[in-house]
Amino acid sequence: MNNKLLYFLVFLLPFCGWAQTREMTANERASFQKSLQQLVEIKTISADFVQYKHLSFMKKPVESSGKLYLEHPDKLSWSYTAPFQYKMVFKDNKIFIDDQGKKKTIDIGNSKQFEKISTLVSSSMRGGKYDEKEFAVSYLKQGDADMVRLTPKLAGAKKYIKEIVLLFSPTNKHVEEVKLVEPSNDYTRFVIKNRKVNATIDESIFNL
Amino acid sequence: MNRFLTCSFFLLLFFASCGTYRYPNASGIRESAPEELNNYYTDTTQAFVYRAKLHVFKKDINGSLMVKTFGRNEHRVALVSDFGQTLFDVSLSPDQHELHYAMHDLNKGMVVREIVNIFRTMTAQRHATSAVMFANQQHYYPVYLVDNCYYVLKERRVERIQQAKGSKEHLTIVYREWNEDDIPTKIAVEHKKFPLTIDLALDVDQSTL
Repeated sequence: MNNKLLYFLVFLLPFCGWAQTREMTANERASFQKSLQQLVEIKTISADFVQYKHLSFMKKPVESSGKLYLEHPDKLSWSYTAPFQYKMVFKDNKIFIDDQGKKKTIDIGNSKQFEKISTLVSSSMRGGKYDEKEFAVSYLKQGDADMVRLTPKLAGAKKYIKEIVLLFSPTNKHVEEVKLVEPSNDYTRFVIKNRKVNATIDESIFNL
Repeated sequence: MNRFLTCSFFLLLFFASCGTYRYPNASGIRESAPEELNNYYTDTTQAFVYRAKLHVFKKDINGSLMVKTFGRNEHRVALVSDFGQTLFDVSLSPDQHELHYAMHDLNKGMVVREIVNIFRTMTAQRHATSAVMFANQQHYYPVYLVDNCYYVLKERRVERIQQAKGSKEHLTIVYREWNEDDIPTKIAVEHKKFPLTIDLALDVDQSTL
């Protein structure tokens, strides 16, 4: 009897919510890519984010939160407000950092890594195309939501990131979650909330 | 004569560099009643999250340090940058360690050995049967010696650990503040051989205490 119950539960397992990730059909993929094109009209985005760092041996994730501002074509402000203060602005091929009053500037010419992060954030938010030279791109469905999985192809990136998973809202196709999975399978999840699209962003946001 | 002087010089240099560390103002080492030291990270139900500020080779790195106890002197310690990137993640026991992950730039033998040494020294509970003697005993806090580590006690708590290698101080860990449960809330680590300092401040909200 117990065995029958076990077989029944194993049979049910694939139908549980967390297991419902599958490849998009060709039609779904075409429709998803078409829906992303509307995001190209986005000129500015402001939003709150919550970052959850999951480590296999910790019961609860380490949480931090902040704000992000994006202005097309090349301005990005990423700031943590709790539990610490730290602000980064990507602008004019430079990164400006304010670490609790300690300010410094990094030339992006010397930091290709940061340039890639900035480009990836911008293109994800605005529905841009993913660089298929850098990533193997998989288009997936999780329930009603669309999901894109980016797996680094280059050895340099593979040392740091196993995969990047973007989860899109089923209603407006905006990115709702970004998950960065490390080679150890520990991961960081960013949840984006309170998004405002094409609202005017005060220029002071990008000045440090 | 020249050969004698050259040999003497190198012998002198050899003995000077191989000398043993002498604790400041100590007059000797004595046997002591067994003393259990550094009981801060012994509870397996607790998980500690510290805000970490590292200053290493003129570079600043901010992040979080997680410390979890799994058994008697079995700890797992991970350092994560503010952006969520794991810098290293290691399990520590008294005689060995298991490196679960180290960021590529940190995954070098000597760097890993020093990181392991710092966090093993910081978290390990030790038993002392030796103490430092001072000529004018009442002017000094009790100092216990275990292997090459000197444990300074203030108000019955370990206030600092000074680790010596050869004739020199190698590492200092200062527990600067505690909460009402005697959990260290502020810790300062200073490496004496390499330009490395770590300042830790307990994040009570993210810890499981």
